[in-house]
Amino acid sequence: MSKTTTPVIELKDLKRRFGVGDAEHYALDGVDLTVQKGEFIAIMGPSGCGKTTLLNIIGLLDRPTDGEYVLDGKNVEDVSNARHAKVRARQIGFVFQNFNLVERLNVIENVALPLTYSGLSHLKRLERASAMLKNFHLGEREYYMPWQLSGGQTQRVAIARALVNDPSIILADEPTGNLDSKSSHVIMEELNEVHKKGNTIIMVTHNPNLTTYASRVITMLDGKIDSDTQTITTEEKAEKKKPTSKRPLNKATSVSKPKKAKATKAKKKTTTKKAKGATK
Amino acid sequence: MIGSMLLDHYRTAKHSLERARARTLLTISGISIGVASITTILALSGGISSIVTKQVDSVGENLAVVRPLTQQASLADLNNPIAQNAYTTSPLTEDDLATIRSLPETELAAPLMTISASIRFNDERPTYSTLVATSPELAEINQLELQDGQFIDSVTLQNTAVIGAQLSIDLFGTEQSIGRTFQIRGQTFTVIGILTRINQPVNFNAIDFDYAAIIGFDSGKLFNNSVAQVQQINILTKPGTNMQQYKQTLTKELARRHDNQQDSIVLVGKEIAESNSQFFDLITVSFSSIAGIALFVGGIGIMNIMLVGISERTREIGLRKAVGASNGTIMMQFIIESLIISILGGLMGYILGYFVAFVISMFIPYDPLLSWEIAAIAAGLSIGVGALFGLYPAWRAARKDPIESLRRYH
Repeated sequence: MSKTTTPVIELKDLKRRFGVGDAEHYALDGVDLTVQKGEFIAIMGPSGCGKTTLLNIIGLLDRPTDGEYVLDGKNVEDVSNARHAKVRARQIGFVFQNFNLVERLNVIENVALPLTYSGLSHLKRLERASAMLKNFHLGEREYYMPWQLSGGQTQRVAIARALVNDPSIILADEPTGNLDSKSSHVIMEELNEVHKKGNTIIMVTHNPNLTTYASRVITMLDGKIDSDTQTITTEEKAEKKKPTSKRPLNKATSVSKPKKAKATKAKKKTTTKKAKGATK
Repeated sequence: MIGSMLLDHYRTAKHSLERARARTLLTISGISIGVASITTILALSGGISSIVTKQVDSVGENLAVVRPLTQQASLADLNNPIAQNAYTTSPLTEDDLATIRSLPETELAAPLMTISASIRFNDERPTYSTLVATSPELAEINQLELQDGQFIDSVTLQNTAVIGAQLSIDLFGTEQSIGRTFQIRGQTFTVIGILTRINQPVNFNAIDFDYAAIIGFDSGKLFNNSVAQVQQINILTKPGTNMQQYKQTLTKELARRHDNQQDSIVLVGKEIAESNSQFFDLITVSFSSIAGIALFVGGIGIMNIMLVGISERTREIGLRKAVGASNGTIMMQFIIESLIISILGGLMGYILGYFVAFVISMFIPYDPLLSWEIAAIAAGLSIGVGALFGLYPAWRAARKDPIESLRRYH
């Protein structure tokens, strides 16, 4: 399905410092992480442990103070901001907790927004956005304004927007943080579908229930990776070559929670049905 | 690629400007007032210059004019709009005229001597009239045509005059006034010719011939204690004369005769029109600077509104950056937005400016000038203002941190 020889993301001793003098602190204090193509990673951890900072750096919105970041085999350290923007336009899709749709643009224009920066013609962009919206069962909502949508619909539009430029990585910062549990599971199902198609997803979440969708769960503490667990739950993942992290991780203590995973597997299937019912 | 990018920027800008319609319109009107005032001023002052230029052109390239060298026009002249040399003694003398006539290249030369004297018929006194003493050559040099009678010549009597068509009407109530008499400083003059109406109140002689009474040079001197007081000498050179060379020769010759004092100036070709409109130039410059201030204020208006818009759209900027907009792209987007405001303002201002100019021209004796230069200046100014005052807000927008911007709620 995909070549797992070169990891999509390789972080080596990544550090990010904020503040100066007395107020100086490290939001990231030496993170080593290797992400293979097709992984669905959930990052957990208490507030202020550096999850979002990590996601911002992976998404090239921020630069590390120290350390190395290799994206698709290329070190992005010494690449200009303009090149970063280009990488964001082509390889990275963002999903935010507060959706961040542009209020004055309608649904299809919002979805087509990332394509503006990839040099496609206006018509092509709308066509692709429209096709993407159909995938998310939002075909009839194309000309709605963002405020006319429910929270779940809004987030699905946001996911469609993140996917429209066919990125290699999708970064989701608490995508379900503003949604009720029912909508949350719908969104997670959608993300799971996206993942099944071979996309790499890195998701920050506070909700432990959602980690069941992930193929790998990372917990962070004080700017460091606390635990890193592979959780293979579904048959698709079993088919796939098992992604292995090549580097020994900081405290690679595998937190085993197979029981929980199995327990939620059954639950997940039911929610899938529910979700499909909800979207129809 | 760049074209489609610009189109996208245009689309985005249009969208956001339409959303804040009232705000956009107010900003546009700010710019348009500035551009309108500049357009009006340039159109009107251009109208004056073009009249004089056209006259000089029609007289031909062999025209030269000698004037006393007066001080450059200064702001003080705005208080004192009578010609600077009106009460001073002109350095030009009859001898100078003789010198000019003696030059081999000179075909014809005529002095112009304006005399301040009231013209009256019985107790009727026209509101506006000019008394000019000159020599018969003037008719040919200035291509003055007569609708009736004859021009003054060497054999006409001293107490005869040629008058402008409008003066004839003002004095006698008719254009048929040959043989009628009128008084200048108590002396009686007989009308021997009526000038064809030319309707050129602004010209390089600073005399409105429609309102002028022209008398012989010798008669004129009698009103001035028999001393010539020459304000200007009009010269027609022989065909094929090198005018620049003629100018040099004449300048040198006149200086030599005036103890090497440079107290007169020889003008040829286009210079004739330019120096005559010095006073108007002054008005143009002062009014243009006021208009410039209006434009500057309009520009600040653009900057202000752009900054407001950018701060309102902080999250959108953050999002655009997150989905792949580079700093340059964001900057371009906002510069284009301010350009749209300023270009629309410029267009409106240009139209408004000409409207005002045409309204004003109903009350003054000349028409505004329609030329591509004025359009280019209006366009250049509005684009310049848009780009200049859009630059800082656009730069502010471009360097917004996407993480900070996305975190903001409002």
